[in-house]
Amino acid sequence: MSSPNDIKKSTVINQNGELWIVIDFQRVSPGKGSSFVRTRMKNLKSGKVQETNFKSAESLTFEDVQYKRMQYLYNDGNLYTFMDNMTYEQFSIAKADMEDSLPYMKEGLEVTVVLHNGQPLTINLPQKIQYTVAYTEPAVKGDTASGGVLKEAELDNGLKVKVPAFIAQGNEVLVNTETGLYSERVNG
Amino acid sequence: MKDFFKIAKEREVINDAIRSFLKERGSVEVETPVVVRSPGMEPNLSPFETIVIEPNGSKHPAALMTSPEYAMKKLLGLGFEKAFTLTKVFRNGEEFGGTHNPEFTLLEWYQQGADYWACMDETEALIRHVAQAMGPQAFAHVPQTLKRFRVRDLFVEHAGVDLDKADVKTLTQTCRDLDIHFDKTDTLSDFFYRLFLVRIEPELKDGFVYDYPVYQAALSELCKDGKYSQRFELYIDGLELCNGFTELTDAREQRRRFEQEALERKALGKTVHPIDETFLELLPSVRTPSFGNALGVDRLHMVLTGRKKIEEVLLFPASEIFNRCDGKNYVFPKRH
Repeated sequence: MSSPNDIKKSTVINQNGELWIVIDFQRVSPGKGSSFVRTRMKNLKSGKVQETNFKSAESLTFEDVQYKRMQYLYNDGNLYTFMDNMTYEQFSIAKADMEDSLPYMKEGLEVTVVLHNGQPLTINLPQKIQYTVAYTEPAVKGDTASGGVLKEAELDNGLKVKVPAFIAQGNEVLVNTETGLYSERVNG
Repeated sequence: MKDFFKIAKEREVINDAIRSFLKERGSVEVETPVVVRSPGMEPNLSPFETIVIEPNGSKHPAALMTSPEYAMKKLLGLGFEKAFTLTKVFRNGEEFGGTHNPEFTLLEWYQQGADYWACMDETEALIRHVAQAMGPQAFAHVPQTLKRFRVRDLFVEHAGVDLDKADVKTLTQTCRDLDIHFDKTDTLSDFFYRLFLVRIEPELKDGFVYDYPVYQAALSELCKDGKYSQRFELYIDGLELCNGFTELTDAREQRRRFEQEALERKALGKTVHPIDETFLELLPSVRTPSFGNALGVDRLHMVLTGRKKIEEVLLFPASEIFNRCDGKNYVFPKRH
C-alpha cells in the first residue's frame, strides 16, 4: 500500500482493478483539515482523463512500472517509435498516449519511456531540450540592452517560442518542457 | 528571461504601498519572532524544526513559525488596537513553485473592535491601494467588483448540498452521484473539501467566500447559529489570496481546538508542538469582535502583474536554490 504523498508524474495507480497513469499532480491544503493531493490521471484502457483528489491519509495501490531511457526514431503519423540503445529493442507508442510531448519531439531525442508489464504506456521528456533556431528576425538596435524584449523564433523541429532579442538564427537554445518557455542560450 | 530588477522594484512598490495604507489608518508595524517554541498547530502544516542552544549547552526544541498569528494576538491582548507585520513565514513539505514556496511573505494585520465584514472592506481597499501604486496595468488586474459569496449558498448552487443538514451519509451519496472519489475514513471536513475542490473552486474566479462550516473554523469566532464560522478567503483570478476572520477570544474553546489539532497531528505521525500558554493567557484580553487577516504577498504580486507562477515573482525561488537539474549550486544567468 502506498501513500498519495508518494504520487509522482507517471505513477500508475490501480483503482478497483483499473489502471490510471498520473499526468499531473499538486498538493493542496484547505484552511483547515486534512491536506489532499490533486491529480489529473488518464485511464490506461479507455483513455479517459479525470481529476481525482486523494486525502493524504488514504492508502493506494501503485502498479510496478519501469522507466527506460530510449531514443526517438520516427513516426508514421499515428505511432511513434523509440529504441532502447542498450538492447536495440524498439517500442511504438500511439500519438494519443503522448499528446503533451508531441510539440517537443525531434529525431534522436532521448526520452524516458514508461513500461508496464513490458508494454510502453507513455513517455517523459527531459526537463530541458536543446534546439537550433531555424528562423528569427534580427534584433532591432537598442532592444538588446535590458534583455526584457521578446521576439518569435521557429526552432529546428517547427516549435515556436518567444526568445530574447539577442538570440540569432543558428543559435542553440534550451526550452523548458514543463513551462513551454525559452530557458537559456547554449554557448558553443 | 527573468528580469531581477523589475521583480525587485515591483515588490518594493507593493511593500511600500501596504505600509503606507495601514500606517495611514493608524496601524502599528511590529516584528515578531521567527524562531519559536510553538509554531502553528494546524494538522496539515509541517514546520521546519530546529534546536535553540544556549551558551551553557541547554537545548530547546524550536521551529520556524508557520504564521505570526500567536504573537500578533498576544500584542492585541497587551493593548495594541491596530497592528500589522510583513514577514517571512516557513512551511516545510510545500510544493516548489506554482502557487507555493517553502518560505513566503505574509502580511498579517489586526484590528480590535471590528469584525470580519469590516475586514473584507479593508482588504478590498488595501488591494486597490496597492494596485494603484503599481500603475494602471496592475489596477486593471483587480476586478471592478469583488462579490461576497456565502459558503452555504455556493454549495447549494454548485453541488446541490445543504450544509445545514449534510452529514457523512448524505455527503457520501452526493459524492457517489457526482462521481467524486472518496475514502471510507473521510470526515465531514474531508467531504466538504472534496466537493469544494471539484464543484466550488472551479466556479470561483473573483470574490470573497465567507462563513465556512464549523469544522473549518480554525481560530475564528462562530456565527450566531453555531454551524458556521466568521472566516473568509479572497480569490482573484482563481487564486486564493488571504484568510481572514473574526478572532476567537474564548480561551477555553481555543484550548479545546488546539487539543483536537494535537490529536490529529499525533495520528498523522507529526511532531506535536506545545500549546502557546502565553497566547491563551492573553487571549481573553482581546476585545470581541476583533479581526485579523493573513494575506500572501507573493500571490498578490502574481495577481497584480498577471504572472501565473510564484517563481516568477521571487528573486530566488526554492526550485532554483535546491533543484538545479545538473545538481550544482545555483549560478546567476549571465548578463548579455
